[in-house]
Amino acid sequence: MYDPFHEVLSDVRGTILKQARALDRPVIGVMPAYFPLELVYASGGFPVQLWGNRLAPSRADAYLQSYCCSVARSAMELELAGGADMVRGYAFTSLCDTLVNLREVYRRVVDKPTVELSIPVTQTAEARRNYLSSGLDKVNRGLQEMAGGRMTPESLAEASELYGRVRALQRRLYALRLERAGLVSNLDFYAVLKAGSFLGPEYYAKLLSDLLEKLDSMDPPEDSGPRLLLSGLVYDPLELHRILDRLGVRVVQDDFANGWRTVSKETLAVENLVEGVARYLFGPAPCCCLYNPENDRHDYLVDHARKAGADGVLFWYLKFCEPDAFDRPQLMKRLTDEGIPSSVVELELSMQNFDAIGTRLSAFCEMLEG
Amino acid sequence: MTEFQTFSKMKELMTAYYFEAKTTKEKPIAWITSGAPVEFLFAMDIIPIYPENYAAMCAANHQSVELMEAAEAQGFSQDICAYARTDFGADILQGGPVGGLPAPHFLLCSTNICKTVIKWYEVIARKYDVPLFIVDTPFVHDGLTDDLLEYTVAQFKDLEQFLARITGRPFDHEHLAEVLRLSQEAAAYWKKILFLARTVPTPINSLDSFIHLGPIVTLRGTQGCVDYYQALYEEVAGRAADKIPSVPGERYRVLWDNLPVWFKMRRLENFFQERKCALVVTTYANSWGGLSNYEDEEMADPYRLLAASYLNVYINYGFEERIRYLSGLMDEFSLTGFIMHSNRSCKPYSVGMYRLQEELSQRTGRPGVVIEADQNDPRVYSDAQIEARLDAFIESMEAAS
Ligand code: SF4
Ligand code: SF4
Repeated sequence: MYDPFHEVLSDVRGTILKQARALDRPVIGVMPAYFPLELVYASGGFPVQLWGNRLAPSRADAYLQSYCCSVARSAMELELAGGADMVRGYAFTSLCDTLVNLREVYRRVVDKPTVELSIPVTQTAEARRNYLSSGLDKVNRGLQEMAGGRMTPESLAEASELYGRVRALQRRLYALRLERAGLVSNLDFYAVLKAGSFLGPEYYAKLLSDLLEKLDSMDPPEDSGPRLLLSGLVYDPLELHRILDRLGVRVVQDDFANGWRTVSKETLAVENLVEGVARYLFGPAPCCCLYNPENDRHDYLVDHARKAGADGVLFWYLKFCEPDAFDRPQLMKRLTDEGIPSSVVELELSMQNFDAIGTRLSAFCEMLEG
Repeated sequence: MTEFQTFSKMKELMTAYYFEAKTTKEKPIAWITSGAPVEFLFAMDIIPIYPENYAAMCAANHQSVELMEAAEAQGFSQDICAYARTDFGADILQGGPVGGLPAPHFLLCSTNICKTVIKWYEVIARKYDVPLFIVDTPFVHDGLTDDLLEYTVAQFKDLEQFLARITGRPFDHEHLAEVLRLSQEAAAYWKKILFLARTVPTPINSLDSFIHLGPIVTLRGTQGCVDYYQALYEEVAGRAADKIPSVPGERYRVLWDNLPVWFKMRRLENFFQERKCALVVTTYANSWGGLSNYEDEEMADPYRLLAASYLNVYINYGFEERIRYLSGLMDEFSLTGFIMHSNRSCKPYSVGMYRLQEELSQRTGRPGVVIEADQNDPRVYSDAQIEARLDAFIESMEAAS
């Protein structure tokens, strides 16, 4: 049932090439996070999401110090190793200090065009709108050059419908996981999600609907291990989900930037693109990288965990990700105050040895079950 | 450190500043980032407190480890900027040279130095349950554009209203004009002082300028700050005229990029003295020569000028501009080489630095070195490794001369 998704992940390169040919669109690499894929698609591109990979940095070491997160380092490694040769250009957002500089490095080292969606974090509403508006104009021009097409109301509407549909289907999968915890293994769940990063929206939507249809009539196994909510930037490395599966953990909800924080986004409203993109960026789930006091992360996470009936929250910390690291101590304290246990694991995308983390997780599970 | 007579005045100035901040009953206290538009606060008689400056003081006093450990014990990862960790610790233990900072009534944060400060200030805002105002000054990838200026100006105006709400008084535009004048004057003196280092041999070295940064960071916009830098300027100018070197026998003239290593000031100073190597200019100390002091005769609107000056910060600029600026300094200050501090704490300053080094060396034909260190965390600093690298670098300058 999950084979088509796992197959994508076992041959990402082949998949992208095949999809790009079928779509007859140039591949645009989309860096983390929240760059609306709709904009790339509406400009004639095929957006492929690059949230890092398992390559250990060697060539990228010449440019990115060891204190950069492995998302940035592995993405650059992929490019320098030639693994992203089909990528015609890159779309960035100004998500964090590392990514902002990474774009500058790419502009000098990688002979491919880049665009950046500069995300305004001011609370001065009108200024935010105006700045975003001029930023979108720049993005539009950049994408046009890169992808060769022109963003029109029609192409935007089409893209918005397609990606809106994809996220709606992904939300159904999330709902299903919540209602029938344990029905989909953690590894399968995130493989399904991740495969979407490398597929055309229509094709992926079809795979998702087929899967959902099959799952609809299935029942979850009898109640077993603890129900967890995972929180972090990215749900990789997938290997760790295998360990969670082995421990009988049922992940019922998440707060990943490439998980629920993105999946929860409604269909991009394109009639007023500036308003639409603003809403897309800042809601409904808050993100540690986007300052927005109107959507408080603490209240949100408590509520999110409660609604999911989670027994505990596991912070999935990617080393050197400062936005995530700053929030965690106070968040953990708040969760404790609310009677929700939490724990943290430290990760690198290229890590090979999960023994220590496995032991830690198993202790956390025992604590939850005890 | 060069023995400037003015130094004792700075101590007085800084002591008086911290004393007032710690004892005031009437004036509101705002914690503010080093690159934020402090002029608006002075215009409303609000005392600005600079956690970054305090963190640097703690490190220079060799107190940062103990403080960072206190923060780490509360779960703050060693991956986050050591300034933030030091200050979190100073807050937890009420530690450091003045026994902790006075509690804030609100916070003012500008993103022109990094996005990290947003996260840092969010933590403080939550802890003290106080408002946080952000002046978002986006990264300038391709030069100052109208949209950037307008965006920043709009936030300044909003800031005025915010301050009026906080203080319960209308915003004082007249006072702002006066403060801006003082701020500009102080920055201009600071810039002139730093420019005196173009003299061969230089009368002031960069370790001196790091030490003398305190007032321009914390007190720009006050008369005391202007007076201080005027006096310092006169003293340094006198030394320049008399050709008194800050590093006797000056043989190498070097640029330092990124923050200082606050806990190694003394040792590095001796190291460079012994090798007759003068650190002549730094991108870091230079930053405060530009704040409130943006030169553009075409720009008549003071808000736009101010916006330009707060956007126009070295680390808020793309690499093309950084390299152009650095190579300009290499020529203007007759430098023989450059040192880049790859600072584990400071990603916006450091990420991609090796590329800058390569290009700058190519462009100027002069040697450069990157050292891996941290401005506040001695636990990730190795004397042996760094000094070996620096020695090799000095040899390469010798070979090139
Ligand atoms: S993981 Fe964190 S540090 Fe790395 S790119 Fe994403 S937000 Fe930035
Ligand atoms: S050292 Fe760098 S990261 Fe830390 S506060 Fe200063 S500019 Fe930001």
